[in-house]
Order: sequence, then C-alpha cells, then structure tokens
Amino acid sequence: MSRVDKLPRRTPAGAGTLPPPRKLPPSLAGNPALPYPAIGQELSALRLQIPGVHGCVLGGVDGLLITHNLQNDASPDDLAALAATMFGLGRQVGFRLGQGDFQQSTVRNANGYLSVYAVSRQALLAVVGTDSINVARLHLHAPDTAARLADLLDGVTPTTS
Amino acid sequence: MGNLDVALKSAMSIDGAIGAALVDYTSGMTLGVAGGTGEIDLTVAAAGNTDVVRAKLRTIEMLKLDDEIEDILITLGSQYHLIRPLSNRTGKGLFLYLMVSKSRANLAMARHQLRAIEESLEL
Repeated sequence: MSRVDKLPRRTPAGAGTLPPPRKLPPSLAGNPALPYPAIGQELSALRLQIPGVHGCVLGGVDGLLITHNLQNDASPDDLAALAATMFGLGRQVGFRLGQGDFQQSTVRNANGYLSVYAVSRQALLAVVGTDSINVARLHLHAPDTAARLADLLDGVTPTTS
Repeated sequence: MGNLDVALKSAMSIDGAIGAALVDYTSGMTLGVAGGTGEIDLTVAAAGNTDVVRAKLRTIEMLKLDDEIEDILITLGSQYHLIRPLSNRTGKGLFLYLMVSKSRANLAMARHQLRAIEESLEL
C-alpha cells in the first residue's frame, strides 16, 4: 500500500443528501425590454463626469453583458464576466464575515483601475479607468449612477428562458 | 498614525477651523479627517480639491516653471480654504486641507500654523 492510498479521500454525497437545485432568475442579458437609451445616457454621464474613465460595462451577476460604452479595445464580454467574478468573491467575503450584501470592489494595477459596483440583486456596473483617475470621486459618483440604473432595470419583466 | 491624528487635531485647534483633512491626490482618498459639519462632507471636499491640486500641478508643468506649490488659498464669501501639499519625502503625493471661518480666523496666523503642522508631520 503506497503512502498516497492512506491519504483522506472525499466520498461522494448520497443522492438523497444533495440540496435541491437552485432556481435562478432569468438573465437580464439580451432582454429587448430594457430601456437601453436611458441606460446608455447614465453610462456616458459617468464617463463625462470623471476624467480618466475609459468606459463602463453593465453586466448581470451571471457574468453576461447587458450593455457597455467602452472606448478602448478591451472586450466588454470579458469585463462583464470579470465583474461577476469580483462580485462572487465580494459576496463570499460578505457571507463569511457577516458583512451583508456586496457593494463595491476595486482592482488597481500599474496602469489602471477596474471598479465593480452592485446595481441591483441581478446587475453589476464595472468601470474601467486610467491610473490617474480620481478614484475617490468615482466612488462618490458611481453608487448614485448604480442606484439610477437599478431604477431603470427595476420593473422590466425578465425574459423567460 | 498617532502623528497624523496629532497633526489633524492641531489643525483643528487653529482659530476658526471648520474642518481639516490629509488627502492623497493620486487617488483623491483621505488618510484622515477632523471636524466638518453635517452639511460639509470632508471626503467630498477632498475628492474635489484633488482636481484643483492636479490642475495647478499640470499648469506649472506646462509653463515649465520647475517649481512646486507651497500652498493654495481659496477665498469664499464666508470661509478660507487652505491647501498645503506636503514637501517632505514621506508625504509625497499628499496635501493638507483646511477650512476656516473667515470671520473667526486670522489668515496669516492660520497659514503660519498650517506650515508648522506640515513641517512636523512625519508619516
């Protein structure tokens, strides 16, 4: 018997002990009923308000892109997925530490920022900025933008998939 | 951060002081605030004045003056706002922000005291 065989092994849970599959709300992505012009206006207002913002991505918590106004060559689909990843991490931190719902998460790299804000239970706002951005101003303005976006998304009947 | 708390406390002891903050102008975030009122949110003031400092620094650079800001005075109807970038090595990229009431403060004294506070501030 080799040493590897003595290591503890995970045993599969019995069929009866598995939790029931979760019912997820349908994705906001691709919903034609969303007020896209008004959403676009909010996103451009945020970009105009704060110098150094390259663009904003509105995505679902499922990682799917709703809409964006990115000006650089970053992929909006990738950013929506990254935003959902950052949300997932933030949400877990919130669970483990009992700190409540996810609000905001920022990554700063050598040449720029990516900030993700909670819009609603279903949507996220990701903002890409240069390194010289006034990030305190972004943190002051973006939650207001997120709240207005939440109002715009609110009341839209989700697509049934 | 004892030194920072002491500095902000002495800034608030300047006659007529309404609020004081130490701000990082690379991000606009505050390292510490003291005072302020219900209406005046010093974190908002810090983020806004970050743009003031940056604009002036850029102007100095464009004019090729090869100099630095000692302080910036903004005079309102009822208040003076003083901005003083830290000049020592440890305070690079930071500025002290002080709001004083025009009617209760002595501007020359406030400026002098703020300079003394800035010089003694080691982070």
